[in-house]
Amino acid sequence: MILKKELDMSRNEGLENLGSEERRHFLKMGLVVTGLFAGGTLLSLSSGARRVFASSGEFAEKYPYKPHYSMLIHVDRCIDCERCKKACAKTNHVPDYGYRTTILERDVSGALAGKREFVPVLCNHCNLPQCTRVCPTRATYKDPVNGIVQMNKSKCIGCLTCQMGCPYNARYFNEEQMAVDKCSFCWESRLSKGEALTACAEACPAGVRIFGDLSDPNDKVYRGIHQIEKTVWVLRPEAGTKPNIFYTRG
Amino acid sequence: MKNVTIICLLLAGVALVAGSATAGDHGGDIHFTRPVEAVLFSHDIHVDQLGFDCDSCHDGLFEYEAGAAEQNGDFTMESLYGGGYCGACHDGETAFASDTRCATCHEGVKGYNRALGKTETAASHH
Ligand code: SF4
Ligand code: SF4
Repeated sequence: MILKKELDMSRNEGLENLGSEERRHFLKMGLVVTGLFAGGTLLSLSSGARRVFASSGEFAEKYPYKPHYSMLIHVDRCIDCERCKKACAKTNHVPDYGYRTTILERDVSGALAGKREFVPVLCNHCNLPQCTRVCPTRATYKDPVNGIVQMNKSKCIGCLTCQMGCPYNARYFNEEQMAVDKCSFCWESRLSKGEALTACAEACPAGVRIFGDLSDPNDKVYRGIHQIEKTVWVLRPEAGTKPNIFYTRG
Repeated sequence: MKNVTIICLLLAGVALVAGSATAGDHGGDIHFTRPVEAVLFSHDIHVDQLGFDCDSCHDGLFEYEAGAAEQNGDFTMESLYGGGYCGACHDGETAFASDTRCATCHEGVKGYNRALGKTETAASHH
């Protein structure tokens, strides 16, 4: 898997190669780019909310959705027990041959974390999703209210264009439903019924997956991402889709 | 000492029968699968490389029989933080603390399936 291979490299390569547009995007969100890893695959960000915006209220308005669902993943806490994946499969009827979320594994030598690191991945519910742009029938779309990237399965013709367009390998073809399936942050199965957490976040015994509302300064996700001096990054920022899944350590 | 050696050999036998050990004059690799899948304890590292003897752990902390600890209700991270099981040494002083470097011991579902010789595709079918 390309993503996995790219994750194997994590040397800071400096900021010279980072486009100014990319930098501006993260700055708008109150995050200052501090390092660029693996040719832009991993982007490290450090919270500069206080520097960029006068008040957190003003800052919150920069997030386009309400709630703006997001997940912060404490990657060094993951032990690959895969309870998240199992809970997801059970909750959302995901067959064995597919996944809505999975765990990648990479070798890290010399790092404090030990010799391996497990990296949970799922749909990034991108702000500029490539998948919705290329879908010929608009079967996949971004919810204008909460930003969740959804599937209207009755419109899906199974052409898999969205799957090819997605830089995060977040879609699979569900043979039973004869449509593409993907993570919906458990909208149908949980959030729309009043649950606060996705099945994966609830099932995790290690506090890896922090799920919440990035537009709410009192939310755990917001606070986790905007901690001063904390390094936070996203996967494959060079794809330009403005992902909403953030990663950190500690 | 002779008795201890014999017990260790027996242990190796038991663990092999349980399908979770490689050969050696100790318990080999022990894969704990509860409460989470999975944690790898290496006798190679602890006995051969670090030089601990059987009594270091098998004198109150762990039974000789592989899998016995997992039957106990208190085989949890909380117990480790309180100095039980691995936490007797993995307390941040003798060895790195149990609430750090998670993936050093946690091999995960992936590591366990590799040890069982399962492929990734087969691993997801269970
Ligand atoms: S449940 Fe948590 S610790 Fe287990 S694999 Fe998933 S994210 Fe990692
Ligand atoms: S991660 Fe892939 S499927 Fe999810 S919104 Fe982004 S492009 Fe679409």
